[in-house]
Amino acid sequence: MRSWRKKREGLDLETELRANRPEPSRELIHRLEARVREDGRRSRVGSFRVAFAGALAAGVLAALASVGGLGYAATATSQAVQKASRVVHAQGVTVLHRAQSASRDQYGKPKAKKKKKKHKKKARGVRFRRPPFTG
Amino acid sequence: MLRVDPLANPEPLIRRVYAYVAYRIGDGPDAEDITSETFERALRYKKSYDSGKGEPVAWLIGIARRCIEGRPPTLEISSEQLEAVDHRDLEDDALRRIALSSAVGRLEERDRELIALRYGADLTARQIAELQGSKTNAVEVALHRSLARLRIHFEGEEPGVRKSRVQQ
Repeated sequence: MRSWRKKREGLDLETELRANRPEPSRELIHRLEARVREDGRRSRVGSFRVAFAGALAAGVLAALASVGGLGYAATATSQAVQKASRVVHAQGVTVLHRAQSASRDQYGKPKAKKKKKKHKKKARGVRFRRPPFTG
Repeated sequence: MLRVDPLANPEPLIRRVYAYVAYRIGDGPDAEDITSETFERALRYKKSYDSGKGEPVAWLIGIARRCIEGRPPTLEISSEQLEAVDHRDLEDDALRRIALSSAVGRLEERDRELIALRYGADLTARQIAELQGSKTNAVEVALHRSLARLRIHFEGEEPGVRKSRVQQ
């Protein structure tokens, strides 16, 4: 006890606080370390999967490029786009065929349709009428 | 850009977080619970760690602070506990440790927080200032005052007297 008091007389409180810092139990350290490692392993597996998928996609692309598959795919795509645009503009194509038909050659240009004149509607209301002549 | 794993070397971090928590709320199972909770949250939000903002320990201490704030305040080490400890024939170091922890427990919340950050988590005054949003100089002055108050409490501790009283 005397030594404890003696030590306290020339007390360096900062050193005491550092030296007597509370320590966690071994069990807590092991448990938390295991938890952290397990989580790290899981995240590594996840990132490995993503990397594997990326590498696989890159490999497939490289293989296609080596045999000209990419050019073939590009041509096929552009053709598909052209077909699709034709289908979409089918109405326009029909008009072209009609212009070159036999009936069109025989009877000439179709008459331009007369535009209907628009009659202005008179404002509704009670019209004034002269009463019938009664003599 | 490569992401830094803040929990790559967990053991020293566990020790520092535990020491901080134990200085704040007292050594024991509650401190262990808070430490575990801190690491659980850290694992959950690991992606939010930004190495540009500070070291992993400062990030973990920030989480531990929030964990402590979310819990009901714990009482300081009671005299009954100290009496129970004094029954045993303890070494000087153990006696000093108990007296110190009791003295820290008697400090006010702000002083205890500073002591825990500086000597438990082993953060620098600058890191503490960043954590608390204050100036380094202000933290140094506050720490100096906290230490002075701790010294008063610590010197007021007389475990030898209490021990002899119990033995009679």
